[in-house]
Amino acid sequence: MPLLAKARHVRVSREGVCVTEVQLRSVAKRFGDEVAIEALDLRIPDGELVALLGPSGCGKTTTLRMISGLETPSAGQILFEGRDVSGVSVQERNVGMVFQRYALFPHMTVEKNVAFGLSIRGLPKSEIAERVAEILGVVQLSEYRKRFPSQLSGGQMQRVAIARTLITEPDVLMMDEPLANLDTGLRGEMRRFIRELQQRLGITTIFVTHDQVEAMELADRVAVIFDGRLAQYGAPDRLYRKPASLNVARFLGATNLVPGRLRDPDLVDTPLGTLVCPWRQGQTGDAVHVMARSELIDIGTERTAPTDIEGRIIAREFFGATVSYSVACQNTHVNVTEQARRMLELGAPVWLKLAPEHMWIIPE
Amino acid sequence: MPPTTSPDARARLWRAAQLAPVLSVLVLLFGGALVLALAQSLGFAPWFGVNTFPDPSYFGSLWGSADFWVSLGLTLAYALAATGLALILGTALALALVRAFRGQRLYKYIYKLPLMIPYTVGIALAVLMLGNGGMVSRLAAFVGLIDSPGEFPRILNTHYGWGIIAVYVWKQTPFVALSVYAVLLGIGRDTSEAAAILGANRRQIFWRVTLPQILPGIVSAALICFAFNVGAFEAPFILGGGYPDTLPVVAWRYFNDADYTLQIQGMAVVVSIALVAGLILFAWLALYRWQERRMGRR
Repeated sequence: MPLLAKARHVRVSREGVCVTEVQLRSVAKRFGDEVAIEALDLRIPDGELVALLGPSGCGKTTTLRMISGLETPSAGQILFEGRDVSGVSVQERNVGMVFQRYALFPHMTVEKNVAFGLSIRGLPKSEIAERVAEILGVVQLSEYRKRFPSQLSGGQMQRVAIARTLITEPDVLMMDEPLANLDTGLRGEMRRFIRELQQRLGITTIFVTHDQVEAMELADRVAVIFDGRLAQYGAPDRLYRKPASLNVARFLGATNLVPGRLRDPDLVDTPLGTLVCPWRQGQTGDAVHVMARSELIDIGTERTAPTDIEGRIIAREFFGATVSYSVACQNTHVNVTEQARRMLELGAPVWLKLAPEHMWIIPE
Repeated sequence: MPPTTSPDARARLWRAAQLAPVLSVLVLLFGGALVLALAQSLGFAPWFGVNTFPDPSYFGSLWGSADFWVSLGLTLAYALAATGLALILGTALALALVRAFRGQRLYKYIYKLPLMIPYTVGIALAVLMLGNGGMVSRLAAFVGLIDSPGEFPRILNTHYGWGIIAVYVWKQTPFVALSVYAVLLGIGRDTSEAAAILGANRRQIFWRVTLPQILPGIVSAALICFAFNVGAFEAPFILGGGYPDTLPVVAWRYFNDADYTLQIQGMAVVVSIALVAGLILFAWLALYRWQERRMGRR
């Protein structure tokens, strides 16, 4: 793969080692009196695909724009391979950006769009043509090269945007909500495409999303940002199973968050009774929440262990592959999701099994 | 079934009703006047006791005189210079306005002021400011640049047309800015930011990304400004350099002559203006369409 070789060559030759690590050191951004980013510390390892996840207005897009150089941080440093790039202009920063609405040049053909970065650099025409043909092959758009953006579908436009960016061999690739504007069917296709391409080129990639599913589908690591602050940074499964705070848990779709009080190393008093959970931190008497993912709770019609919790099904939702029950236990509700192999009746008495290893204590 | 009851026919009727006001004005008033002007310029004026239709001698004598071509040249020169300047200034202004800066809101009100002030007021302002006894000359004398206001170089009433051009540019720069600004807001800043990330500097972004996208706004603004400038009468009448005048002033002089049969000659001038302006605007549009096709916008 010549493109891969070329990209690697550029990256290796710079420092002798193969790194394009991006680091943010207490980066802050204010717009007038409004604080967009408080103080963000983030290290994005070389060649990884990292998602900045958060609700709209949390500062994730601002962060992306600061890394690209479109915005200047009010304070702090942005480092590429340990080199401060704060003083480097957008043009010189050698980054790539795929905008949410692609930002293709409407007055240029696909070919001209893709060639733009190289033609700006004044490369000879023959070399541009060669590299455009090559990259259009990579994004599988060779037969569309004479089309204008208005004649393309959303997925094709996005691939043009990706090709236009990759042809300049950026050190870092950024994407703003890469899957948000695509149909459900296309999302899966584009997700696989982006993942494969990223792995093949090994390019450090940062993307922004407000959709936790998108973040988990695509990213090696996810940085959750709330109100301009990093709430948690880690692998998707860790964020999902072991959220650091209630907000992160809620944002990642946790439904069962039962308030309780820490007793003894691994016992929590909750409205569901005393639960056995793996101890993490905190002292006896601390107020905590216990998170139990709805798909990790077993539901049965008979009691099989003394720790089983008694309840009654008060609502049922059928999603095809799965079915979700709302179970009333003592004074609280527990959501349980299971494969739709059977359907339990509304009002039926049931027993819930909350295994200690599937529960997670979140400090207040 | 009567045809009026079918939804198709009703839709057609409704469309005709919607088009009627503009169409009737265009066909009856404008079209009628044009036909009448053409007929008159060819010698059809029974109300003056003249009817030699078709008689090309009015055009013949007009186009045969060298002064007509000087007038035409002046008319076009003033119109082109003013349109070009207004386009450049207005586009630059619009580009500045889409970027956030301090006092932007106030500035957005101020720059539109000339649009609300009539041309005649603008002409009066030009006389007050730029004339030989005007504010600028007095100020220049006051600060000692010249010894007396009378030494101030003549700006108004010369065949260079500085005053005419100044008034047109003063009035039309905000107009161009307004129309280009609207287009700029529509295209957003995404494409220019994308270009910057791809390595383009400001100049490259303007010429290769922004300008092609705002071209429709610029072309239509230019069209409107130029059409007005070619046909405008007050500014060259008051601020112009005298004989040979611009064509609208020439026409006006014919129309006001004691010898009312000269009105026929005036009509020939009017028709000439329409012909030249129409030809230039048509060529301009054709050029633009060709450019659009080249850029794939049909």
